[in-house]
Amino acid sequence: MLKRARAWLVQVGDDLKESTDASLLSALRFLGLLYGPIDRRLPIDEAYRKARARRLPPYVGWRHSFGGISYLLFMVLVVTGVLLAFYYRPSVDEAYASLQYITTEVPFGWLLRDLHLWAANLIVLAIMAHMARVFFTGAYRPPRETSWFVGVLLLFVVLAFGGTGYLLPWDQWAYWTSTEVMDVIRRTPVVGGPLSGMLTGDLFVSGATLSRYFALHAIILPWAAFGLLVLHFVVVRKHGTAPPKGYVDDGRAGVPFYPNQLLRIVLVSALVLAVTISLAALFPRPMGDPATPFEVPDRLVSSWIVVDVSLGLLRTLGVWGFVGFSALGLLLIILPLVDRDDAKPLRRKPLVLGVGLLFFLGFVAFWAVGRQLDSVPPSTQVERRIIEERAIPNLEAPDRDAVPEPEAGQVP
Amino acid sequence: MIRPPIQIGLGLFCLLASGLAMEAGAVPIVADGRPEARAVQQADDASQETYGCLLCHADKRRAYQMGVHSERGVRCHDCHGGDPAAFETAQAHSGDFRGRLTKLETVEVCSSCHGDPDQMRQYGLPADEIAELRTSRHGQLLLDEGNLDAPTCSDCHDPHTTLRPDDARSGVYPTNISATCARCHDDKDLMAPYGIPTGQVEAHRHSAHGVALYERENFAAPTCVGCHGSHAALPPNVNEISNVCGRCHVNVRKAFDLGPHGRVEGGKAPLGCTGCHSNHSTERVQTDRIAQTCEGCHRAGSAEATLGAEVEQVMIRAETEIARAEEALSELVRAGHETSDERFRFRGAVTDFGRLEKIQHTLDLEQMTDIERLIASASLDIRGKAEVSAEERWEHKLFLLPVWFFALGIIFLAGSRLRQMRSRAPDATEAG
Repeated sequence: MLKRARAWLVQVGDDLKESTDASLLSALRFLGLLYGPIDRRLPIDEAYRKARARRLPPYVGWRHSFGGISYLLFMVLVVTGVLLAFYYRPSVDEAYASLQYITTEVPFGWLLRDLHLWAANLIVLAIMAHMARVFFTGAYRPPRETSWFVGVLLLFVVLAFGGTGYLLPWDQWAYWTSTEVMDVIRRTPVVGGPLSGMLTGDLFVSGATLSRYFALHAIILPWAAFGLLVLHFVVVRKHGTAPPKGYVDDGRAGVPFYPNQLLRIVLVSALVLAVTISLAALFPRPMGDPATPFEVPDRLVSSWIVVDVSLGLLRTLGVWGFVGFSALGLLLIILPLVDRDDAKPLRRKPLVLGVGLLFFLGFVAFWAVGRQLDSVPPSTQVERRIIEERAIPNLEAPDRDAVPEPEAGQVP
Repeated sequence: MIRPPIQIGLGLFCLLASGLAMEAGAVPIVADGRPEARAVQQADDASQETYGCLLCHADKRRAYQMGVHSERGVRCHDCHGGDPAAFETAQAHSGDFRGRLTKLETVEVCSSCHGDPDQMRQYGLPADEIAELRTSRHGQLLLDEGNLDAPTCSDCHDPHTTLRPDDARSGVYPTNISATCARCHDDKDLMAPYGIPTGQVEAHRHSAHGVALYERENFAAPTCVGCHGSHAALPPNVNEISNVCGRCHVNVRKAFDLGPHGRVEGGKAPLGCTGCHSNHSTERVQTDRIAQTCEGCHRAGSAEATLGAEVEQVMIRAETEIARAEEALSELVRAGHETSDERFRFRGAVTDFGRLEKIQHTLDLEQMTDIERLIASASLDIRGKAEVSAEERWEHKLFLLPVWFFALGIIFLAGSRLRQMRSRAPDATEAG
């Protein structure tokens, strides 16, 4: 009996292997999962074979995997985000409690939440690494400037995702970090006031802000990200990966997508996913006390790289440092318009190189500074106002001589 | 032109009208030099324009107008005498003019209204301040011995800018009163002849009472007058101390009275509450210094000192349990647990600890141990939940074993396959 079962399993395995070797779709057909007429009318098999036959240029290597890693982490965020949205309730009364429920009651809820958080951290690093690779290889120059524009926009969308998602746990750390960020936005010249008004929807961070942030985080930004991602992929596919300096196309075929590149993708994906899950299990984000606008916490525990960078900037360079660094990031968008000359190497363009180095090294440096800070929110005007209001105005007996004396000869 | 009979008629009418008006009490009647109650309530008939005092003493006007006496129509001449309608100094300073009041005159003038229940009743003010003052050490010195070092009314209550005690600018407002007392009681030269030490105000400021008042803005915390009285100010004597403290610390006093210190011969223990807590710098006796405090009076190794050490142990154990429960509660919050039940239990434990703090004054170990058990039970319950939570978090880490098993398996298989393909097709260039 056992022998027969084993023989059957071996047979199935061999058939599968044979089918897979021929075509993945054959395997689907073999398992009865693909209905023949559909495939005949829609040339799925043909498209699949074409994709499989695609060959990448020979210079495509491991360093090109950061873009893929960013996309993988984005998908992790999408999946975990959707699952979190099953349980999360975006209201002042229920947000914190629903987070508690997710963390402690939902099966693997702790993993969902921390996976979402750590993927949000790692995606920033992956995007920065991807951008640094593109920048330092000069791959942003024409004809690939559109993919650079869209890529930088995608970075800002990811930052907006994090910024809006940061408030959603609705604990003291999230609340007061968002308050501090909103304070900085409010003080930004020209656009600050209206922008913070639109985002906050109230005089201070409140239930109105939570609703807006959730709408942005779960509805508006996903659509923006989806559109920009499609555009990014279309242009990347159209122009291909930028060749290295001095590369001469000698007609070599390059690396086939299948199975070489696919195996690389599987390998890197397995590693990235394992690392993300490990970080989520080993370093879960602790929860603060429930948010209250009436009590400033002793310290803010940061759980997102960008918050660390922002705190590092704010504590060392002040609001203007923060605004300046953000402007530097925006300046990167116009880089392909300024630097169009492909002939000169990057080291011969000190201004462009300086801007890039300042941004990428500054990001790492201020991240390190931010991690070292055990932050309190003294920069919030709110806290100063509370302290001023609570200050005891007069602890001493009134000075009797202080009653003003009228000038001599003045008749009352 | 008005004819004489008409003039006479008008004159008679005016006389009659004024007489009627006097009957109705519209014009103040000055009897034995004091204005009548109604007169105090109403605005003075001497209008601002014709009030002669202000011509020279304009500097006092603004200070005076800020005070409550101005609101009630008490005018300069009500205290200083003289003729306010006069425009010449000599005439103005004539008659019952007193000028600058001496300390004794001040008491006399103030008591002319503030000692009269008929006048004070309408404001809901007591009229026994002067009677109280006579019982105080200040009053004994000033009124009986004529000692001008002692304060009079105007030394604590500004005579011109007389403010209500609940006005934050007033010298007798809770946060200002200790500074008002300190004007004399921090003056070493002034206090030396009477053998009174100085520095009480600074001690009070840093005491439990001072911290409650100045830092936590708890206006129920006592100032100088809370224990010594205001007008009848005297230091409480030894037998009175527990009663004075017991006015606020009711449960502590009950416990104290039930304990051996409260039952000692003569009614009260030597020094009462201040024996352990001192007076002006009232401090909590730190839990780990209870035994040491007992040994201040009781010989080390004596039965009393041993009991003190046992009380200390119970308090330390209870305090430790509270701290551990608080830490466990914090861990549960950080781990994302819903903690309303645990918070409720913790609040209960804190309340029990407050009860224990009071009960310890009975020195009844049995009663104290019972309460300690309640605290320990709540703490154990909360810590149990925290331990379960910690175990769950540890189990989460075990999840990494299958994750890395699969991940490394995939990496190994994919890597070996890639290597295999590279060795099969050495021509395929793989830059990077």
